[in-house]
Amino acid sequence: MSVTQLPNAHYASLITAKNADLVGCEFDWLNSLRVKAAEGFSETGFPSPREEEWRYTNISPIEKSQFNLPTKAGAIDTRFLQNVLLDDCHHLVFVDGFYQPTLSSVIDLTEGVVVSAISEGVSEHEDLLKSLLDSVVETPALGFINFNTALFTDGAVISIEENTQIEKPIQIAFISSKEGALSIINCRNLVLAKAGSKATLIETYHGAEDSCYLSNIVTEVVVEPNANLSHNRLQAESLKAYHIGGVYSRLDNNAIFNQYNYNFGSVLSRSEVHAELGEASDCTLDGLYIAEDRQHMDNHTRVNHAQPHAVSNEFYKGIMNDRSKGVFQGRIIVALDAQKTDAKMNNRNLLLSDRAEADTKPQLEIYADDVKCAHGVTVGQLDDSAIFYLRTRGADEEMAKNMLTFAFANEMVERVKFKPLRIKILEELLKRFPQQGMKIEWL
Amino acid sequence: MLKIENLHVSVEGKEILTGIDLEINKGEVHAIMGPNGSGKSTLSYILAGREGYEITQGRVLFNGKDLFEMSVEKRAWAGVFLAFQYPVEVPGVSNIYFLKAALNGIRKFNGLSELDAMDFISSVKGKMKELDMDEKFLYRAVNEGFSGGEKKRNEVLQMSVLEPTLCVLDETDSGLDIDALQVVAEGINRLRSPERSFVLITHYQRLLDYIKPDFVHVLAHGKVVKSGGPELALELEEQGYAWVEDKLAS
Repeated sequence: MSVTQLPNAHYASLITAKNADLVGCEFDWLNSLRVKAAEGFSETGFPSPREEEWRYTNISPIEKSQFNLPTKAGAIDTRFLQNVLLDDCHHLVFVDGFYQPTLSSVIDLTEGVVVSAISEGVSEHEDLLKSLLDSVVETPALGFINFNTALFTDGAVISIEENTQIEKPIQIAFISSKEGALSIINCRNLVLAKAGSKATLIETYHGAEDSCYLSNIVTEVVVEPNANLSHNRLQAESLKAYHIGGVYSRLDNNAIFNQYNYNFGSVLSRSEVHAELGEASDCTLDGLYIAEDRQHMDNHTRVNHAQPHAVSNEFYKGIMNDRSKGVFQGRIIVALDAQKTDAKMNNRNLLLSDRAEADTKPQLEIYADDVKCAHGVTVGQLDDSAIFYLRTRGADEEMAKNMLTFAFANEMVERVKFKPLRIKILEELLKRFPQQGMKIEWL
Repeated sequence: MLKIENLHVSVEGKEILTGIDLEINKGEVHAIMGPNGSGKSTLSYILAGREGYEITQGRVLFNGKDLFEMSVEKRAWAGVFLAFQYPVEVPGVSNIYFLKAALNGIRKFNGLSELDAMDFISSVKGKMKELDMDEKFLYRAVNEGFSGGEKKRNEVLQMSVLEPTLCVLDETDSGLDIDALQVVAEGINRLRSPERSFVLITHYQRLLDYIKPDFVHVLAHGKVVKSGGPELALELEEQGYAWVEDKLAS
């Protein structure tokens, strides 16, 4: 279904320019992968709304903006950073696409565990990089992935040793500085949870207030047999930024993968969460997107039940206010051999204004015959009788609406087990829907 | 306290209340009885401020002020409380937060400071005990998954926490078994005071076995057709509403 489109001249020129000093340029295998991706991009460019998977999201503002590649990290003030970093975590901090060792802290790791930036010890981790890069996505891929593969400047590389549990979550924070305005950040994260391991990752995205830039991030995740990986994503970019973020995962037999996806920032964002499920693996994809003003939030998920006996549970909620637009497209594929699949998908949308829009499209492709698949979508408004009820008890109309909206969203926030992250998400929620006298400790 | 004067109310062009006059003084308990469709619930919703009704004639004064000039929440702040016939489920909003937010809204309006959280919780727990409610209901979403009886108890709990001056109870007895009815009625009786008035809207007399009214009014075809003391309720119980209809016809 791909539609040929000439790549935007500006971005085509960025990709064909000589980018000799990109991370890992000493490896021939990586250079040739980058070349292949660049060629792929030259053929397809960025996706157009004429493509079915992009029909609700027009990225032409990105093309018009002509973002440039960053050359170095700008400055981040301490208070901003303190607000970004979560307590009780290992921290990998990237500013404008470059790792910042002085702002990061990774301590007391078990032997054999790698929590690093690609740019740190690139030769030390060459084998790991080589085995992970392009292991879940396949080059040449779609436009934004090709662009990322060709030009990524850095990113996290994480490998959890077999049968090892990492106690503290690992936060990977991507920050765009004031100087990073008008640049395009390409970062690549590579994650391997080896057999029987257990860990929690948290990717967070932030930018200087009102700064306009583009984050184009690809995360590849491999969860080996019996490993248990929790992956969280908090997209709190500047409200004028663009965000294209993808999590592409592969679950081996009996693996457990829980992906929690929270979207608050960006004027236009697209999140992709893909999972390919091995036999008897267990995958949870939960998401919350809250859009205001003219924000556009597109959530795209793809769960591929490639093997039998796997379980997937997907639940996304969207809240759209003002003239914003929320999109959910969820695809579940059940392969011929994937008997005894148990797949659930649910998307619920709350529209807070007459001019807000929700587009939701569940897609099921089922080739096996002995499976359980359930899906449901709703688009609704706040319940008038509940608003009236709350008002008769003394909540004013705005407060009643905020209480109900907060409650709608909080169902998704309660699922975050790690408290510092849960509080951070609640703060974003309370900024939008203030609750009088509500104490975060109660939640 | 409450003065209803020649109140006419229509819904989608159909007149439901056809001229109600009623005066309720401080500390009084009035029962409003009537057959289905007589306009009882409409009257309760009108007092609470629900949308969708057209007031074509008349007025309602609450402590001398025009009730219809006040928003729904302002009526609550001023002391009007409606216990719903069908309390609404509010998913995701916990009872404790709901109660605290409601009470603080009312206190703020009346120039009082916010309550201390610990004092508040222990006071609510005491009131729950009186209503034979498990403490776990505090942390459950408002009315969500509650049984009919639990919902009614929760209404009375809210009433006892918010301490309104005018309590309108719409069919609070419906759906309650005899034990629950007793508990709920006791809860209401505890709230009776010289400063607080009650309007009990009910189809049946049995609630009035437990809460003795000062006045009973019979509503039919959207107006009060007969008023009297508690004995009127017994008369109605014996003779049924057909008796009212007959009297109206003659």
